Amino acid sequence: MTGFILPRRGLLVTGAGLLAAPAIQAQSLNRDRVILAMTQEPVQFNPLLYVNAGTENVPEACLFDALWDVNERGEFIPNLAVQVPSRANGGISPDGLTWTVNLKRDVKWSDGAPFTAKDVEFTYQTIMNPAVAVRSRSGFDLIKAFRVRDDFTIEMELSKPFVPFLWAWQNMHIVPMHILSKEVSVQTAAFNGNPVGTGPYLLRSRTAGSHMVYERNPNYHRGAPRIRQFIHKFVPDQQVAYGQARTGEVDHFALSGVPNDRWPEARALPDRDFFSFPTPNVQFVYYNCGKPQFSDPRVRKALTMALEMQKSIDDIYFGTWPRSLSYLQPTHWAYNTELKDYTADPAGAERLLDEAGWRRGPDGIRQKDGVALKFTMSTTAGNIARQGCQALFQQNWKRIGVEMEIRNMPASVVWGEYTTQSRFDTLFVAWDPTVGLDPDYTARTHSRMIPAKHRQGSNYVQYENPEVDRLLELGVTQTEQADRVATYRQIQAILHEEVPFAAQGGSVQGHLKRKQLQGPVANQYVTDITWNVQSWSWA
Amino acid sequence: MIRFILRRLAQAVPLLVGVSLIGFGLMHLAPGGPLAIYTLNPSIQVQDIERIKAVFGLDQPVPVQYLKWATGLATGDWGTTFFGGRPVLATILERLPATLLLMGSALAIAILLGLGIGLLGAVRRYSVFDALATSGALFALSFPTFWFGLMAIWIFAIELRWLPSGGMYELGEEGDPLSLLRHLVLPVMVLALVITATWSRYARSAFLEVLGQDFMRTARAKGMPLRARLLRHALPNAAKPLIALLGVELPFLFSGALVTETIFGWPGMGRLFVDALGMKEYPVLMGLMMFTALFVIAGNLIADIAIAAVDPRVRL
Repeated sequence: MTGFILPRRGLLVTGAGLLAAPAIQAQSLNRDRVILAMTQEPVQFNPLLYVNAGTENVPEACLFDALWDVNERGEFIPNLAVQVPSRANGGISPDGLTWTVNLKRDVKWSDGAPFTAKDVEFTYQTIMNPAVAVRSRSGFDLIKAFRVRDDFTIEMELSKPFVPFLWAWQNMHIVPMHILSKEVSVQTAAFNGNPVGTGPYLLRSRTAGSHMVYERNPNYHRGAPRIRQFIHKFVPDQQVAYGQARTGEVDHFALSGVPNDRWPEARALPDRDFFSFPTPNVQFVYYNCGKPQFSDPRVRKALTMALEMQKSIDDIYFGTWPRSLSYLQPTHWAYNTELKDYTADPAGAERLLDEAGWRRGPDGIRQKDGVALKFTMSTTAGNIARQGCQALFQQNWKRIGVEMEIRNMPASVVWGEYTTQSRFDTLFVAWDPTVGLDPDYTARTHSRMIPAKHRQGSNYVQYENPEVDRLLELGVTQTEQADRVATYRQIQAILHEEVPFAAQGGSVQGHLKRKQLQGPVANQYVTDITWNVQSWSWA
Repeated sequence: MIRFILRRLAQAVPLLVGVSLIGFGLMHLAPGGPLAIYTLNPSIQVQDIERIKAVFGLDQPVPVQYLKWATGLATGDWGTTFFGGRPVLATILERLPATLLLMGSALAIAILLGLGIGLLGAVRRYSVFDALATSGALFALSFPTFWFGLMAIWIFAIELRWLPSGGMYELGEEGDPLSLLRHLVLPVMVLALVITATWSRYARSAFLEVLGQDFMRTARAKGMPLRARLLRHALPNAAKPLIALLGVELPFLFSGALVTETIFGWPGMGRLFVDALGMKEYPVLMGLMMFTALFVIAGNLIADIAIAAVDPRVRL
């Protein structure tokens, strides 16, 4: 999730330079604990209900386990499952429809009750329970039959082969049946504030608005963590949090991280490690293909060609973001490295628009059949960096006879029905892939997934292309990674030409930690730094 | 007096209903809503959002939603939060001590200082002190609070390293009064600065008005010393407008300080409000509004009673 930043941050930016103090002595290091700072605070700890990715992933990672995790190379590693199912180990039937998972036998909930297949079944049932505001059913809605074969074996039958199904379970933490099944409503259960899990840490205390303290789980099934205490601290102001990471008041500052303009300074700090953490987000200009200005792919491509994308990254994000030409981070295993960047080419854009029949009118604005090439662009109001990009794009377009009006709104407005019912002209938005970090992009680009027409999906740009539909349907059935790479590269190549959305770059976070802290590793396939919190230690 | 209080409380009921109706109406009329946060979640599709809308009860007509909420409140049920499903009242009350402490200390310090500066400024009108106090107040009121906050952090926390930059306790020292005191200094200082400025201006003009009255001249003529004139005659008479002002400011004790709490990471009501507003957490927003409305009514009631106590001419 990005974009829920209140406009007051705009005010604070003016004070940004104030906290750049030159001489800073290190605060003494306490090896008994690790303090992780974020600007946002989790509001609930039931992993099935979480809303605020990044910060609410922390209690999830500390308290709960999924069947399997994904490491920084994009490989699945078993967690509660004995092994990750595949065709080779017999976990997936040859037709791809039956999935068998063997569970570890030595796992206990933090209240001492044993973990069994019934818990996994209950988790699945809760996900499908219409009375619970579960974050997503992506993938789970394909389960036709769920069977508990014995206490430690489950079997799932899918309605169609779906390779990204692995991602669905990677991101779904298992909740205890023996506690939640007794609750009248999972939605309002006491458990949501007082969770019981199988994870590496136990929640000891929470001070609302300040911090949460976790104590290591001595019986953790992957071995007790080496650091006794884990503290998740909330410092709402990004500049203040950065200051605390520099002085050592906190050991690691993650999520919003070091402000982009402070990266060179942060890199040079003694006794601190600075590293960039690629998020799954790629930032796009979204064209609403359902509007007359954008129905012709040539127009969308011409508009994109006119944009100084690299300049916007260099000037506004201080060159910290990698340029991306598709909906994936350029380091993703399925990214199409053969795509050529056709920005910024204003002369080419003008030629293409002329060719498509959009000619300059008396007011200098291009038009065709009575439709002027004028439109609005919306994003979360108060996001200074995005506003900077919008202003640059506005200038880029003005030069080729296109008029764009910036119309930003509060997050809760712009991302409501204005987006989901495709009422916008263009949006400026950062979004990640839809099924974990699998390259599948069905929900966002399949023609059946246009909510304004079919009441399902998240194809808000209303993009329709039968060839893309076919490739998307093929991609989720291919089990060999090499085959999938070929398919998704093809999809990316088509999208690169037809441009329902124009990628700008992949968003990255600047993390700052003490040099002695071992374990935190950037992982572009997850949304949070604590994905491997059980293996953190002090050198 | 008891009848007066009862009458005022009875008048408060339609007032609260009105406040809640307007608040609830405006909240739902404003574009956007709590479900937008889900749109930003990549794995959520429109059909998921529709489902969550029904779970939250947001698919029902607004009047029905209001009636449900209002009957709940009338029976002591403040509702549950959308995100997390926690009781709203508990969510608010757990923030109350932090805010009471911060705002209470700041208000107490600021009022005492403000009264003193105002009184001195009025007695020594147009003196060097008066000029300094007036321009100082103007300075404090002209700069935004966040600027003072960031400056205070930069100077005292980062450069001089005398005081912590934020939070309520050093981690691991929860409950330690010394640690609390150290964390309290900067936010209280910043808040008190602005409140002192306001109060010194009000106090100065209130005292000036009283000092020019005939009875003050009479007191002086009969040879009463300055100190006695000020304490016995000027203070009770000047107190009336200040008590009314205090009645208006009392609710801030409970509603907290939005900017200061955010900059100093103070876990109070102001932060809760900012967070709830960002997520359009309707039940919490309504809860906070009703909570504040209750204290506005209480603050004014207490001020009226206090004015009656200092002024024998006022009968309740």
